[in-house]
Amino acid sequence: MAKLTKNDLHSLKAKYAASEKNWIKVGFSTCGIAAGAQKVYDVLCDEARKNNAEIEIKKCGCVGMCSAEPLVEVNVKGLPRVFYGKVDRETAIEIMEKHVCGNLLVNDRIYDVKVN
Amino acid sequence: MAKTVFIKDTAITGKDRTRDFYGLFLGVLREKGLDTTIQLVRLADMGIYSAGIAVRVLPDNHLYTQVGESDIAGIVESIKTGQPYQPRLTKQASTQMRIVLRNCGVIDPEKIEDYIAHDGYHALARCLTELTPEQVIQEMKTSGLRGRGGAGFPTGMKWEFTRKSAGDQRYIICNGDEGDPGAYMDRSVLEGDPHSVIEGMAIGGYAIGASKGFFYIRAEYPLAIERIEKAIKQCHDNGLLGSNILGSQFSFDVEIRLGAGAFVCGEETALLASIEGKRGYPSPRPPFPSVKGLWGKPTCINNVETLANIPVILFKGGEWFSKIGTETSKGTKVFAVTGKVKRSGLVEVPMGTTIEDIVYGISGGAMSGKSVKAIQTGGPSGGVIPKDYFQTRVDYESLQKMGSIMGSGGMIVMDEDDCMIDIAKFYLGFCVDESCGKCAPCRIGGTQMLRLLEKISEGRGVPKDLEQLAMISRAMQKASLCGLGQTAPNPVLSTLNYYRAEYDAHVNDKKCPACKCSKLLSFLIRQDKCVKCGMCFKACPVGAISGNREKGYVIDQEKCIRCGQCFEVCKPAAVLRQ
Repeated sequence: MAKLTKNDLHSLKAKYAASEKNWIKVGFSTCGIAAGAQKVYDVLCDEARKNNAEIEIKKCGCVGMCSAEPLVEVNVKGLPRVFYGKVDRETAIEIMEKHVCGNLLVNDRIYDVKVN
Repeated sequence: MAKTVFIKDTAITGKDRTRDFYGLFLGVLREKGLDTTIQLVRLADMGIYSAGIAVRVLPDNHLYTQVGESDIAGIVESIKTGQPYQPRLTKQASTQMRIVLRNCGVIDPEKIEDYIAHDGYHALARCLTELTPEQVIQEMKTSGLRGRGGAGFPTGMKWEFTRKSAGDQRYIICNGDEGDPGAYMDRSVLEGDPHSVIEGMAIGGYAIGASKGFFYIRAEYPLAIERIEKAIKQCHDNGLLGSNILGSQFSFDVEIRLGAGAFVCGEETALLASIEGKRGYPSPRPPFPSVKGLWGKPTCINNVETLANIPVILFKGGEWFSKIGTETSKGTKVFAVTGKVKRSGLVEVPMGTTIEDIVYGISGGAMSGKSVKAIQTGGPSGGVIPKDYFQTRVDYESLQKMGSIMGSGGMIVMDEDDCMIDIAKFYLGFCVDESCGKCAPCRIGGTQMLRLLEKISEGRGVPKDLEQLAMISRAMQKASLCGLGQTAPNPVLSTLNYYRAEYDAHVNDKKCPACKCSKLLSFLIRQDKCVKCGMCFKACPVGAISGNREKGYVIDQEKCIRCGQCFEVCKPAAVLRQ
């Protein structure tokens, strides 16, 4: 990329902030990786492909709930934003099949709800 | 957005009734024909505790606690109308406020675009195009930000001193040598939002007139180092580091230096020696680093968390920042709440939040329903704060008054099973291991104190030992060369102050009230309670328990290593620990 100027910063901000796609974020700090975030991330990517789900799967840092890692935040339009905690293979599959594709939140796995 | 109802039994002890209540609630929804339009979800954790059954309705954001069976109909009715059901309506008391952790868990730390989309580098652009270095320093002074490494020195003043010191070259250093046991705030910021620290450093560099910055990060943080390296490269590619940043006259670059695992290198002067490639020994101050620092040049050393605050302050203004927090301590503080707490992790709260709110409100109190005894803040340089003082509001002064310190932000929660002598011994042992050995008070004093504590915890203590502990502590505080030695006795002094009775019990009665000090314990099987299940027999790692399922079991006191395994596994509580 070329050297940025102040105006570029503003246009970049506008460009990247506009996206309104559904997304999933997986916590990829030391706490998350140690708890198995990579495996969860791989399973989510596989399942998204299998289900033809239109969703962006991203990596992020630690949100602070280290005891509940691996942590997966899911934002699907029309549903509350939630954090799934202690996610394993089974939960990751459920998240993709039920939450992302079926618009149904998964019971007993949510550790926090984003309240605006 | 369709309505969603979240349910969770928030009681810490007893059977989890979430599932039963879910059934009841679903029944009512079905009855009213609403089960297809309203989604009912069981939570694993709600972030509130000891409030009975809790129900949250979104998007209305109504929170109900202590909900009973008779309330369900009312709540369902209120969901239909959108008006809250008053009898059980609650406001969530303790909430976090995210300034330092604003992007942690929000952005992808390896993508600079993500950071820019979240107002990243806008503050730097503002400084370079609209403000003079003096104005930046003034903004920092207005904000009232104080150093988050523990000492709490006003950042604006530190910058001003460095700027005003004569020198052809100045440096800014990011202190990422986080070493307190149980503290990992800085690691999370470096891993989760590396660009904010770089931006903070660039702004600092501009303000003090430095063209060069150093990251000093401990080598035990490989992921943090990797992410900072990536971030620096991205900055170079985009003209955010290097010459003529953002098209301005300002040039600035950073390099990484790794700490090799010495706790003392978190101390300013030892850190400087380490960066220069020398042995990490502290040296007497003054001269302060702001006058004579790295290679004799004026140097400003800021903590990771301090630097992460800076872009926000210059984006939103010092005035805005100074409205958060208490009279003397502005802004927020990140704590790493660990130990025997239900929900361990990072917590960021405005200064002035009570300890009770942090430990119980946000972190859910003690694990497994035991009661919290105390917290330890400030790591090995801090002290304990007993439960009775949990109404204390967290800021630099009030924690100091309690005999502890803010420190870098480690907060270790201890429960009734923790012995205070054991805690003091642990922290002092840490400081003895990490003492660099340059000055005698720290090297000899620490070792002597540790010996005394070991003597006490083994039941060989005499009353005079306690006086001696206090005496050596005072000598270390006064005569040690650097912060490590000066603060090393703090855990001992604060436990002596608040838990004198526990020390006395060890010394006079040769008993450990928390049943932790193994040399003062004995285990005995009460034959009247024993059900002869043999669990203790199986659990004993050294074969000290003999007997069989007909005759019952006995512990051989000679062989017993007092590990407590038999006590833990015994269901009818027939193992007596005393």
